Amino acid sequence: MVELKTDDQAINHRIGEDVIQFVLPPELEARSPAEYRGLRRDHVRLLVLPRFEGTPIHSRFDALGDFLHTGDLLVVNNSRTLPALLQGRDEHGNLVEVRLAHRRTEDLWDALLLDGRTRIGRIGMELEFGQGLSARVIAPRPDLPFLWQVQFNPCCMPLLDLIYRLGEPVRYSYVDDVFPLDTYQTVYAGQPGSVEMPSAGRPFTWELLLKLQGQGVGLASCSLHTGLSSTRDDAVDATYPNYDEEFHVQETTAQVINATHARGGRVIAVGTTVVRALETAARPDGTVRATRGWTQLHITAGYKLRAVEGLLTGLHEPQTSHLDLLSAFVEPGRLQSAYLEAIQRRYLWHEFGDMNLII
Amino acid sequence: MDYPTDLHGKVCLITGASRGLGRALALAFARRGASVVINSRSSSAQDLAKTERQLKALGAQVLAVIADVSNRADIERMAGEALACFGRVDVLVNNASALGPTPMPYLVDYPIEDFEAVMRTNITGPFMLTRALLGQMLARGTGSIINVTSDAGVVGYPTWGAYGVSKAAVDHLTRTWAAELDGTGVRINSVDPGDMDTAMKRASEPDGDASQWAQPETLTPVFVHLASDESAAVNGQRFSAQQFITEK
Repeated sequence: MVELKTDDQAINHRIGEDVIQFVLPPELEARSPAEYRGLRRDHVRLLVLPRFEGTPIHSRFDALGDFLHTGDLLVVNNSRTLPALLQGRDEHGNLVEVRLAHRRTEDLWDALLLDGRTRIGRIGMELEFGQGLSARVIAPRPDLPFLWQVQFNPCCMPLLDLIYRLGEPVRYSYVDDVFPLDTYQTVYAGQPGSVEMPSAGRPFTWELLLKLQGQGVGLASCSLHTGLSSTRDDAVDATYPNYDEEFHVQETTAQVINATHARGGRVIAVGTTVVRALETAARPDGTVRATRGWTQLHITAGYKLRAVEGLLTGLHEPQTSHLDLLSAFVEPGRLQSAYLEAIQRRYLWHEFGDMNLII
Repeated sequence: MDYPTDLHGKVCLITGASRGLGRALALAFARRGASVVINSRSSSAQDLAKTERQLKALGAQVLAVIADVSNRADIERMAGEALACFGRVDVLVNNASALGPTPMPYLVDYPIEDFEAVMRTNITGPFMLTRALLGQMLARGTGSIINVTSDAGVVGYPTWGAYGVSKAAVDHLTRTWAAELDGTGVRINSVDPGDMDTAMKRASEPDGDASQWAQPETLTPVFVHLASDESAAVNGQRFSAQQFITEK
């Protein structure tokens, strides 16, 4: 049993049960954004998986409205993606890759320090990035020893400006090029803070969102600034499946969620980040209240969802925390069958890939 | 002084605000209570700093961003910094523009690189910045975008070719976008300031009679109107700044 504390509650649940196993063929890793593959954003494929019974339906993302009802509510994560990958040099001139993970204060970030795929870092390490940006490694995070607390100079808006000027979007080995930062933004992105794209919302276009609104589907937003999805070390990722992320559920969003439930409508989270934020903000009776803070909530099979009925998400790698979370929506055996079917039908995985509606 | 149109609580981003019309608009918005994001290219940084000082002297909340609107990465940086600083942008004024080489050549003599650079700044720039900020307006169901245009986009004046073509495109960008935004609560309009005494105007017409040209600060009323909620139903219109004052 692992006990995780959120802002105001302690939730006990098992981790490691019902692990979904499959092998992802490398050719099913989406290596570039849909637009770079000759597709509109909203023309990626959509696998619709009924939560409780029924077989998967294979569709296209812009047909999402066929599976939603008047009175349903989509809740999106409007956090904007930062170019959180910085290349610096230490005191000896060695190249150090800095992957920002979470902003703690105006000048202090948690960060992963890498030499290739090898984690590095030491207390007192001095880093230079060019254009006047420097940093000092303060200490490891006590609870997350693979992350370092890194203090930057300058701070505040000048620091943000330099991160934009010097940084690149965080990417993994399956992405075959450096794409412009705007390709990592959802069409409704607001305040920046995510170090990786909240990718479940990427296929939306405003043409589709306005069409859905026209058919009576509501739209609300919250923000959760995403951390790093991987440390590039499978063993560490398995040991620390989820860590804290900053989120905000606004009063207006809480009200519209509660009103949707009161009318019998369904709340569909666009992304696992939204599930984390809303479930953290949910009271035991399922009502959602305006909440701001950090969440450590780790959702797995058996977790009783209180705030959301449906989930729109991408296709996830085996043994990731995202896949654990999906098991709270749909029985792991059915999820595994659906994933095997997706592989058979050549769906594409990862942040630029195809989509999965669980409802 | 009493400013009847209230912009308190609004966040306004004005490109090309180092001097001329952009500076006048930033000051006019700030006097009515708006928070402002001002922008210029690095070559105008000193003038932008002067605008920033004037705004702070008014007690305004202000963020100055050095960025080139023709640069894709700069657009995302400017949008991100504005949203990080103020949480949202309610009003966007696409004011920055490039005249191209002066004295302005005939189109047949226009260097291709210069033509492309004018288009990049004057039409692709407003497209990219509007695209970057429109989504957060649509998500809130409110917002106002104002594109600065010119009669050179309507009348074919000799030597005004690249600039005029770009402004005609701005007018059509406004019309098309307005049609797509109809009913969303977000509106987009364009304003032709007419002849005004700015550095750009003097560069384009070195022998012109500047005494006949309007001062930029006198042309702000229509922009204030379009930035405010009093114009919430106005979408897809093309205004003359000078005619707006006359009719008022």
